[in-house]
Amino acid sequence: MTVFRGYIKVIKSNRLMICFYLAIFFAFSILFQTTAKSADTEMYQMRGVRIGVINNDDGALAEALVRYLSGIHQITELDDEISVLQEKLYYRAADYIVRIPEDFYEKCISEGKELEVTMIPGSYTGIYVDQQINSFLNNAAVYQKAGFTEEETADAMKNRENVRVELADDKSVAGDNKDYIYYFRYMPYLYLAVFGFVLGDILWSFQKKELNRRMMASPVPLRRQKLEGMLCMSLFGVGIWVLLILGAAVCYGKSWTGSANVGYYILNTLALLFCTLSVAFLAGTISPNRDALTGIVNILSLGMCFLGGTFVSLDVMSGSIKKISQFLPVYWYEKANDILTDFSVMTETARNQVFQAVGIQIVFGAAFFCLAVTAARYKQTEG
Amino acid sequence: MIKTVDHAGAEGLVHIENLVKRYGSFVALDHLNLDVKEGEIFGLLGPNGSGKTTAINCMLALLKYDKGMIRIFGQEMAPDNYQVKKDMGIVLQNVAVFDELTVYENIDYFCGLYVKNKIRRKELVDEAIRFVGLEEHRKMRPRKLSGGLLRRLNIACGIAHRPKLIFMDEPTVAVDPQSRNRILEGIMELNRQGSTIIYTSHYMEEVEQICTRIAIMDHGRCIASGTKEQLTGMIKTGEKITIEGVALDEEQLRKIRGLPHVFQADYENGILRLQCTEAKHNLVRVLHCLEEQEIHFGRVFSEQPTLNDVFLHITGTQLRD
Ligand SMILES: Nc1ncnc2c1ncn2[C@@H]1O[C@H](COP(=O)(O)OP(=O)(O)O)[C@@H](O)[C@H]1O
Ligand SMILES: [Mg+2]
Repeated sequence: MTVFRGYIKVIKSNRLMICFYLAIFFAFSILFQTTAKSADTEMYQMRGVRIGVINNDDGALAEALVRYLSGIHQITELDDEISVLQEKLYYRAADYIVRIPEDFYEKCISEGKELEVTMIPGSYTGIYVDQQINSFLNNAAVYQKAGFTEEETADAMKNRENVRVELADDKSVAGDNKDYIYYFRYMPYLYLAVFGFVLGDILWSFQKKELNRRMMASPVPLRRQKLEGMLCMSLFGVGIWVLLILGAAVCYGKSWTGSANVGYYILNTLALLFCTLSVAFLAGTISPNRDALTGIVNILSLGMCFLGGTFVSLDVMSGSIKKISQFLPVYWYEKANDILTDFSVMTETARNQVFQAVGIQIVFGAAFFCLAVTAARYKQTEG
Repeated sequence: MIKTVDHAGAEGLVHIENLVKRYGSFVALDHLNLDVKEGEIFGLLGPNGSGKTTAINCMLALLKYDKGMIRIFGQEMAPDNYQVKKDMGIVLQNVAVFDELTVYENIDYFCGLYVKNKIRRKELVDEAIRFVGLEEHRKMRPRKLSGGLLRRLNIACGIAHRPKLIFMDEPTVAVDPQSRNRILEGIMELNRQGSTIIYTSHYMEEVEQICTRIAIMDHGRCIASGTKEQLTGMIKTGEKITIEGVALDEEQLRKIRGLPHVFQADYENGILRLQCTEAKHNLVRVLHCLEEQEIHFGRVFSEQPTLNDVFLHITGTQLRD
């Protein structure tokens, strides 16, 4: 286990840098958490968009949507007549018009058809309303998939709204809210950045050209050297993971440890850990020098987090971006995370969706791992 | 082209036959043949770019080659021949140590790749530290060491496990004279303790000083090999004699030119330069001749031929960098 011990020593001698990175990224995470939270809050507090609603459906969900919108905006019910609508828009009596079709639940939730809206071209506020409606529809779709009927979905949406409104209003009660959802949401960034930099750096110590030659000329088989290295780095990763989980337990106490989903959170973060370790391993292997490594890690961590729903919530992301995002493991982590946020008590379908997301992360991790191993082999035979 | 000497006898510790290595269309090793016997300090001498490092890397199985065969300890060398690797030590051209580890930890790490036993390893590491004279720097990080000390650490990392066969690729490049001497003496000491050493350098003086046998390389080929005496014996020049402050007329110069073993004599500005073939008492004979004719002379120099002369003779270019 000489190589293993070597890694341990190198990690130890890098402890200051590791603490430094941890501190920085913790700080970043907290910063992002607070800004994201206040941005979310602002969204709920934003009033004043005049929305015209044409309600051709009398179902419970349509009612829930109107209620949801009226909680945020000024709502006018309109008749479904083109001339009226044009007039309203023209005279700015409404900034935004939603047409709820007949059989709203079937069409828009079950079949996923888009809701027809009209807005003043280039309207900035309209985008917010778009996001809010999308968010409503997405969430309703989750309940629908989980086997809820229209009435149950509508109820669930009403409750959700209450929770959110409370959350927005009630900033003073720190202990008893779901702040930890932000902590977990930002974890991919912390993982990617810390593992990318630290593990990449350590990998680099062992891959300096001449040093690598000395190791390759030794009687310890190359595969064994690699395995010992990976073992050590994985242990290091688990160590950081434990630290973060303990961090959550300490910061959020009972509200997290006592919640029904703790187990799923742990499962999801472990899958993410595996995945990020593989990514870090790959980054450290393919980068030709330390500077390149810094660049690659930055692109990977920031890119994945922006597209994967860490910095921008998946709720508000457009469909086409989401299609791309599905090829990023972070997306699946955040997806599972969102489900955990939305379902205080798991339903069968929700649970399956979480498991699916976790499974996909693991598959991603395995793929990155294989890529890294292949890259390492290629690098060795090259020179 | 001068053919090499003494290939009689059994196969040596390291045996290379017709080794060819190409980088693309560039031929770095061109049918290289070498045979290193047990107990030798075998020198690979050649100018920069002559293929020394390439040859070493092939021997260490770090580099794939196109043709030929390498046997070490009588076994075919291969990347997974750990039996052979166990008894080898390497000191490469560039320093290869961990910046994060101290002097002691570095040596311990590399020694640990060969020696599992903790107690034995501690002995070996301590010994290696004494051997290169880094006792006072045990706890230092490599970054704090001067160039010469760093080289010594590099050597200690390669030899701590007391290998039977040591490869050293230009271990004295860019080293101050004091460290250099210490390193050269160390290499001879390792050899006395029983290690066979393959040593590459482009410094003729070093190779002359420590190597028991030498192969001169140029353009990826071994152009001559043998002991220093054998090599210098291959060329016509035995001894170069320079005499300053002499006044000679044509007749006297003719007489000197007529001396046995003198094959060239140039006289210019009161300086006489003679080149003699290998023979005993060349200098005495020349001075005696001057004395007989009552010719006064100033300072006298006599030089033995160097490997540079050999290289010059074979390739027509200087060995110097
Ligand atoms: N990786 C490589 N790719 C292409 N050419 C190389 C490579 N390594 C060495 N060479 C060339 O091979 C020749 C021999 O190099 P080398 O063995 O390092 O010489 P030495 O060690 O005697 O200075 C040089 O001309 C060098 O430019
Ligand atoms: Mg070289």
